[in-house]
Amino acid sequence: MTEKNKDKTFRIHLMVCAGTACVSNGSFEIKEALEKEIKKYDLKEEVLVVTTGCNGFCERGPLLVVQPGNIFYQQLKLKDIPHLVEEHFLKGRPVEKLMYSPPEEKTPIPILSDIDFFKKQVLIALQNRGLIDPEKIDEYIARDGYRALAKALTEMTPEEIIKEIKESGLRGRGGGGFPTGLKWEFVRNATSPNGGEKYIICNGDEGDPGAFMDRSILEADPHCVIEGMLIGAKAVGASQGFLYVRDEYPLAISRLNIALEQAREYGLLGKDIFGSGFDFDIKVTRGAGAFVCGEETALLASVEGKLGEPRPRPPYPAESGLWGKPTCINNVETWANICRIINRGGKWFSSIGTETSKGTKVFSLVGKINNTGLVEVPMGITLREIIEDIGGGIPGGKEFKAVQTGGPSGGCIPKEKIDLPIDYESLSEVGSIMGSGGMVVMDEDTCMVDVAKFFLTFTQDESCGKCTPCREGTKAMQQILTRITEGKGKEEDLSLLEDLAKSIKDSALCGLGQTAPNPVLTTIRYFRDEYEAHIQEKKCPAHVCRELNTYTIDEDICLNKGHGCDLCRKNCSADAILGEKKQAHKIIQDKCIKCGVCYDVCNFGAVKVD
Amino acid sequence: MPKLTLDDLAKIREKTKRTTEIREGGDYRAKITVHMGTCGIAAGARKIMNAFMQIMEDKEISDVLLTNSGCAGLCSKEPMATIEVSGQAPVKYIDLTEEKTKQIFEKHVLGGDIVKDYALGIGSEKTDY
Amino acid sequence: MINLTIDGKKIQVEEGTTILQAAENLDIKIPTLCFHPLLEPYGACRVCVVEVTLNKKTNIVTSCNTKVKEDMDIQTASERALKARKLNIEMLMAQAPAAEPVQEIAKELGIEKTRFEITDTEEKCILCGLCVRACEEVVGASAISFVERGAKREVSTPFGEESEACIGCTACAFFCPTGAITSEDLHGRKVIHEELGLGPSTAIRIPIRQAVPMVPFIDEESCIHFKTGKCKLCEKVCEKEAINHEAEDTEIEVEVGSVIIASGFKSFDAKRIPAYGYGRYRNIITALEFERMVNASSPTGGDILMANGEEPKAVGIVHCVGSRDENYNEYCSRVCCMYSLKFAHLLKEKTEANIYDFYIDMRCFGKGYEEFYHRILAEGAKFIRGRVAEITDLALTEKEEGKLIIRSEDTLLGVVRRIPVDMVILATGLEPGVDQKDIANKFNISCSQDGFFLERHPKLAPASTFSDGIFLAGACQSPKDIPDTVAQAGAAAAEALALADKGTFELEPVTAEIDEDLCAGCQICLGLCPFTAISYNEEKTICEINDALCKGCGTCVSACPSGASQQKHFRDNQIFAEIEGLFIE
Repeated sequence: MTEKNKDKTFRIHLMVCAGTACVSNGSFEIKEALEKEIKKYDLKEEVLVVTTGCNGFCERGPLLVVQPGNIFYQQLKLKDIPHLVEEHFLKGRPVEKLMYSPPEEKTPIPILSDIDFFKKQVLIALQNRGLIDPEKIDEYIARDGYRALAKALTEMTPEEIIKEIKESGLRGRGGGGFPTGLKWEFVRNATSPNGGEKYIICNGDEGDPGAFMDRSILEADPHCVIEGMLIGAKAVGASQGFLYVRDEYPLAISRLNIALEQAREYGLLGKDIFGSGFDFDIKVTRGAGAFVCGEETALLASVEGKLGEPRPRPPYPAESGLWGKPTCINNVETWANICRIINRGGKWFSSIGTETSKGTKVFSLVGKINNTGLVEVPMGITLREIIEDIGGGIPGGKEFKAVQTGGPSGGCIPKEKIDLPIDYESLSEVGSIMGSGGMVVMDEDTCMVDVAKFFLTFTQDESCGKCTPCREGTKAMQQILTRITEGKGKEEDLSLLEDLAKSIKDSALCGLGQTAPNPVLTTIRYFRDEYEAHIQEKKCPAHVCRELNTYTIDEDICLNKGHGCDLCRKNCSADAILGEKKQAHKIIQDKCIKCGVCYDVCNFGAVKVD
Repeated sequence: MPKLTLDDLAKIREKTKRTTEIREGGDYRAKITVHMGTCGIAAGARKIMNAFMQIMEDKEISDVLLTNSGCAGLCSKEPMATIEVSGQAPVKYIDLTEEKTKQIFEKHVLGGDIVKDYALGIGSEKTDY
Repeated sequence: MINLTIDGKKIQVEEGTTILQAAENLDIKIPTLCFHPLLEPYGACRVCVVEVTLNKKTNIVTSCNTKVKEDMDIQTASERALKARKLNIEMLMAQAPAAEPVQEIAKELGIEKTRFEITDTEEKCILCGLCVRACEEVVGASAISFVERGAKREVSTPFGEESEACIGCTACAFFCPTGAITSEDLHGRKVIHEELGLGPSTAIRIPIRQAVPMVPFIDEESCIHFKTGKCKLCEKVCEKEAINHEAEDTEIEVEVGSVIIASGFKSFDAKRIPAYGYGRYRNIITALEFERMVNASSPTGGDILMANGEEPKAVGIVHCVGSRDENYNEYCSRVCCMYSLKFAHLLKEKTEANIYDFYIDMRCFGKGYEEFYHRILAEGAKFIRGRVAEITDLALTEKEEGKLIIRSEDTLLGVVRRIPVDMVILATGLEPGVDQKDIANKFNISCSQDGFFLERHPKLAPASTFSDGIFLAGACQSPKDIPDTVAQAGAAAAEALALADKGTFELEPVTAEIDEDLCAGCQICLGLCPFTAISYNEEKTICEINDALCKGCGTCVSACPSGASQQKHFRDNQIFAEIEGLFIE
């Protein structure tokens, strides 16, 4: 086949989401089924099936976007495929029953950009999502890929690059929020001992529970991270880069390796890139299951092959990092923004967002929310817009209670603050942090003490154990919280928790320990009454802490509605329910182990919990 | 694979842009709908579809939306296609052949002039998408 | 120089000083647990936290690893710092309740008990990391490290298995502040006979408590620096800079006229008699080992103790171990009977033990020795005449359980006896030193059949050898006690002095001489001369005979292939002339 100067045209492109979530839901099988049906109907020359990275609307996977036309199909099952291919791609009749309808409504919304989840998003870091095959470098290049690199290498000086980044106002997206341009300047101005080299590191050790922003970027658009690192290396004067990815992201790692190989083949990594005399290459280093290695000095230790524990700062990595040399460490999302800024200008980037926080942020919207998924929104958008407009509100018509941001280092923001515009400063004012972008929505059925316990259990498990306050302090706090949720809380527990929290924050060695008490502090600040209910009344208002629940049967309902159906007694593993068929049933409190199964199985609502 | 120069980069971009542009949505200067219900397919609508595709590829056109739909209703006049140039009323063409397809594309889609000889009527129901 | 304030006091220190060091200069003590001046600071325990105000910003930092900056205002015991310090100590009290340093600091801070849950009441390890850092920074072995994460963190070797990297230096135990690692753990037995060479000791040590000169030496075998290239802590702490690991042995050449050989003896190796159980059973020791134990500067402080630290209730002393024995040495070692009596006396003085002496003959010659023997008899030591056949722990009766049984003939009673004792002292004999043959070869002197150096005349010249100028003193010539050694040494010294003093002396005329013209320099004669009287002249490439040393034995004359070496007055033609003279009529 002769080399044409344009690719072959297909009239329909099927963009199948192949982010890890959809893959685990069977999107590769869907792809195979599509290809089989397409072959069957002899549409192979007309319809192209493309696997892309995460589309974002994870709640509705497996999903597929038909281009041209932006038609959105969701919750696909293998048995739907033959019908879909025949109806839409052969006969031209889109299939309504596979389209998205908002909950409680019947009318489907065919076009992606009309769907609320997508409408308010502004894609910068994720600008290629759903539009390219991440394993084809040419498609990345077609969408302005490596153009910024060309510009940076041939038309700009390192100082100019740094100036552009500073002007953009980009701040570290890993949670620190440190001005990126300023950090690059520090690294540029630092001298490496013995005239040695400098390093670039991309921190892909995303460990917050429920956070998958970095994973999605790496799976959907690995090249933008590579390009960002190349530009950064030119700016600070580094010659070697490391991409530290947690080992639990095999798909991201494999796509990265493919991308790196392709970039090397094109000479975009290696020696004398674009003939400019600039050398740079990237090595992928895999993590080994330690959340603490997301902390930058522990990450450095891990890359160096040492025990993954943090070291005191100063000196900061910009001055003395990997093997003692100046090192620029930035998060995946930060790197993803770089080539966009260089292409469109720092001024353009700083026109989005708020006074102090420029640009957009990727959030993983999870928890008690209708539209779970990955969203990128401009800084300054309110929580209400995210939760109600994009998120589609709380499922089951339940009441919104709080949203947790920043993972185990962050805090809970109560419903009173739902109109809070999101940026670095506003979040820290209410006692939380931006963090890496995890956003967990909670409703009336969430117990805030249980939430604090959950995060403390996580931090306790992930603590490296080097310093006393983190190792022993999180254990102590977790033990106290566990006691409280079991109804064994004491009067002095709250003040002890607060004292512990403050001293741990003061004397812990690294960010993990210093921020571990945050979930406890914010939940006490905004939900003190729940703690007091647990301690004084030995009750859990959300009925989550099972040992504090009392289950009773409303005999009236049981007899008249349920007619003594006996389902609860049959399922009670503690033999704690008395009753016979067609009679009202009763729970023997002494025997009840509070497992809650009777509550779950009763179809008539006769079991009450208090 | 040779090391890329700036020129090489631009060439790859041009070559592959066609593939990615089609996914981006945006403004189309015209929309062509080939009616491919059972009747249409039986009458040879596939060939017409391929003809449109080929012309677009040869002329390197990427801002025309080419899609299909089901039966238009007038089965005896298949193969049929509706041409809707942006800002103008849609026009239905009937009894298409590959030759007519080419002419219609050049004259109407690119040139903006309706080929009255091949047309059925102007201003029929607008398609939703 | 940096100016700062600590607890209201102003101070000026050099750049690079830490807050902890600066506070020390002001005699302000900040408690620490994971800090050690000889190791890099680690910042793990967080007990040394202080409150620092700089440029209107206040922070809590650890003082052991934070360097001072200009204008810092430091409060070492502010409310905030003290609260953090107290809570950290309280938590450590729960994590490691048996760690004494934590208890001490808790007492200073006024904390009586901990509010936190205690899981292991015996736990001593406070995870300070001193052992790990010592093993890596000082020793360079990196045999231990931290493993597991969070509350499960502990110090271990890779996979918890015996590590090949560990050189058994016990540096980890040395640095451990709480005793969580001990050297007993490493060696598995109580160190009681350390200086007798039965246990480990440090690489740099004074060899024995009464060494002259009283200075330490470095044992290259166990020194860490010679194993891994690191450590050298001794050099760091020596104020006089008297240590130099790079010093090498130097060879010095001295030209002398006479040599006195006093190379001593070695003890008979009791292991050569397996029946006596030395090295197999505990509490069987040699005379020299007992001598060491009983000395006031010994590890026991002069107490006579068994291996388990208790006093023996019955002790057996076995005479003639390796001496007067056809299978080993036939001679009598001369000193053993007397020192055995001394041991019996010491035992009587220091313990309540029953003493049994197993002898063949009691050799108590000379001044006061026989009288001493009678004294010991009066003190109640029991003497059994008979050769000990074996020492065993195989008990035949209940009384013998857990004891060492000495089975010996009692010739006076005519029975074989089994005596159960707690400790056995073997009176090992004297033997020629390990290097006896070596010295003999070097100085070209002979040894008698028993291995001791051969004296010129057993009665009339005991201090000299057949080689002129080489004299003997002490036990290298024959087993003897201290008074005899002193006497012989004096004799040897006198003879050496006489030689040096003489100026001129008479020589035997019947010496050999080498004809320069005939000598080819083959050096056959040189190796043959028993008196080392021949030397090789490199310039002239011939051999030369030293008249003073030549004894006229004629060996070189008969060996010389060219006939260059001739005996004066016994030349061939002279001898033939004499023979001819006999036949003249």
